[in-house]
Amino acid sequence: MRSKRFEALDERPVKKDGFVKEWPEVGLIAMNSEGDPVPSITIENGVITELDGKKREDFDMLDQFIADYAINVENAEEAMAMDSLDIARMMVDFNVPREEVIKVTTAVTPAKMTEVLGKMTVLEMMMAQTKMRARLMPSNQCHVTNVKDNMTQIAADAAEAAIRGFDEMETTVGVARYAPFNAMAIMVGSNVGRPGILTQCAVEEATELDLGMRGYTAYAETISVYGTEPVFMDGDDTPYSKAFLASSYASRGLKMRFTSGSGSEVQMGYAEGKSMLYLEARCLYVTKGAGVQGTQNGSVSCVGVPAGVPGGIREILAENLLAACLDLECASSNDQTFTHSDLRRVARSLMQMVPGTDYICSGYSATPNYDNMFAGSNWDAEDYDDWNVIQRDLKIDGGLQPVDEESVVQARAKAARAMQVLFRELGLPEITDEEVEAATYANGSQDMPDRDVAADLKAADEMLARGVTAIDFIQALDRGGMPDVARSLYNILVTKAAGDYLHTASKLSDDWEVISAVNYPNNYSGPTTGYQISDERWQEIQDIPWAVDPESI
Amino acid sequence: MTQEQMLEQIVKQVLASMNNQPAGQPEAVAVEGQVTSADYPIADKKPELIKTQTGVNFKDLSYDKVINGQLKAEDMRIRPETLELQAQVADSVGRTAFGSNLRRAAELIAVPDERLLEIYNALRPYKSTKDELEAIAIELEDKYNAPNSAKLVREAADIGYKRKRTKEFK
Repeated sequence: MRSKRFEALDERPVKKDGFVKEWPEVGLIAMNSEGDPVPSITIENGVITELDGKKREDFDMLDQFIADYAINVENAEEAMAMDSLDIARMMVDFNVPREEVIKVTTAVTPAKMTEVLGKMTVLEMMMAQTKMRARLMPSNQCHVTNVKDNMTQIAADAAEAAIRGFDEMETTVGVARYAPFNAMAIMVGSNVGRPGILTQCAVEEATELDLGMRGYTAYAETISVYGTEPVFMDGDDTPYSKAFLASSYASRGLKMRFTSGSGSEVQMGYAEGKSMLYLEARCLYVTKGAGVQGTQNGSVSCVGVPAGVPGGIREILAENLLAACLDLECASSNDQTFTHSDLRRVARSLMQMVPGTDYICSGYSATPNYDNMFAGSNWDAEDYDDWNVIQRDLKIDGGLQPVDEESVVQARAKAARAMQVLFRELGLPEITDEEVEAATYANGSQDMPDRDVAADLKAADEMLARGVTAIDFIQALDRGGMPDVARSLYNILVTKAAGDYLHTASKLSDDWEVISAVNYPNNYSGPTTGYQISDERWQEIQDIPWAVDPESI
Repeated sequence: MTQEQMLEQIVKQVLASMNNQPAGQPEAVAVEGQVTSADYPIADKKPELIKTQTGVNFKDLSYDKVINGQLKAEDMRIRPETLELQAQVADSVGRTAFGSNLRRAAELIAVPDERLLEIYNALRPYKSTKDELEAIAIELEDKYNAPNSAKLVREAADIGYKRKRTKEFK
């Protein structure tokens, strides 16, 4: 006979999640693995000749790249001589300024940082994250996609997401050839909602760079790096090719960050018996060495792997913290869905929401779950009010704020109209009034009429072939009677020409000021310091429209 | 579509849109003085230091000039000297690896879009022999005056060959 209690528990969502016991030999271990190298460094004539127990002649491509580019050799011997526990304490202790910690953490090896983080609880890591985040104030990023690749809906959802507070937005495609339209839509729509939103379109590396060169995007993020050489080969890249790609982006005035995350090496079968955190440390050191300003990390698209092993969510926080300790911008995942349990998905995200990261989600889905083309997100449009209430409950700034329906509908309508105008002026297939209206009031693509996909794709190909650039978008929007939208796209070009936004953890204000870790560095040093929620911002966060006003009773 | 076919298509598309590219390379102008984080954002604090790729003063950029066709896409592009300034800002806040990336980027502005994509592709595993990569390094040095980028390519060739990740070992 079965226990009715256990029968009831078996029906709970968490029981549908996958869990696995540790298996260190294949890398199914979050952190603190016996298989991780013992930290070591030898420097001869300014060159690292031994790294974490390996001699230079035995270095693989990652070892050599990290040794030559990613470690501050000047401070290395002194920093490596420090006790790992002392480094962990420095990170948590708010009396030690961020820049003092950075001097140490950028001068030690991947194995050393893995050891340091292994000594910390999640609470201590969250304290350290509060101090080590690069930018003074946290922020948030969202995904805007849909299963139909409907560009009018993308624009409307992006406009709404901007009003709700996201500073950065990412789209991708169902059908690859839709990429230019989706990129246009998210750029136009988001900047209707709030001028100064940075947008990207995640597609294959070379295509992504091409879109950026043409001015269809403002930054790029899906430049993946991996923790072992065989997985890098499977990804058809090397640390050197990725470093070259990084410089290529900057040469066209485009901001970019790399992407990595634990679990990919296990999933691809080449973990070399190392812990997930150690392998992610190698990814982050490659990122640092390539001179990229930041990373999207925290397992990201392989989140199911660390989430299935003991301490996996702790490990994800450790990854984000390590990125910050390498002085990198961190867009901290809270991205791909990993659980059926609402309790688990909130617990997982509190690790970044409470301390705040440069971009708490690197993909909050600004659409219903079914429209998220990045395989679903931990947070969807349906959760907007929950996110806002959690901010209000805890008095934390997770980057969003409550909005009223009327403002959202207005912004969505304007974004949809902007796409209609843009398509008309560029001679692209018509966006009808019916589509504009549908996008204005839609929740998801099920509320949108179908388009002639074949005609769209042909037009998208032709548009690229005739060399249409962002300049053409600006002129088209101006001709079509939407000069304020056109001006925002113009300002993005100006931003790229100056390059200030290439710097660590940048975002743009609604009057086009670049806000980055250079002019707004995190200066947290204990209670009442660092980023403080202003009275005005607190009012914004707490003002949920459905709260009862005592004066009305 | 294979990687090669896609690249080929991109190259063709980009080439087709190249007819309004500037004829010569941008004039190399030395950057006067040093900037630091105190001068950042440069667009706000030292805009007089910024010109675009075709030599247009940053302060002379305007929306109206884009609308009436006076300013074209290339007039809005970042130039090497600006990236050098941003590299100096990066160095001043201790981000020297980032500074080095921006200096490689400054060199790569001169490399046309399609050649840039080709070189990136050539650096991928098993795509080029050690000698082919050496030829690219020489091209970067001689044709584009890009010694830092050439150094990176040479290192990729050496370690790639040593690790049997170059075309010889395909």
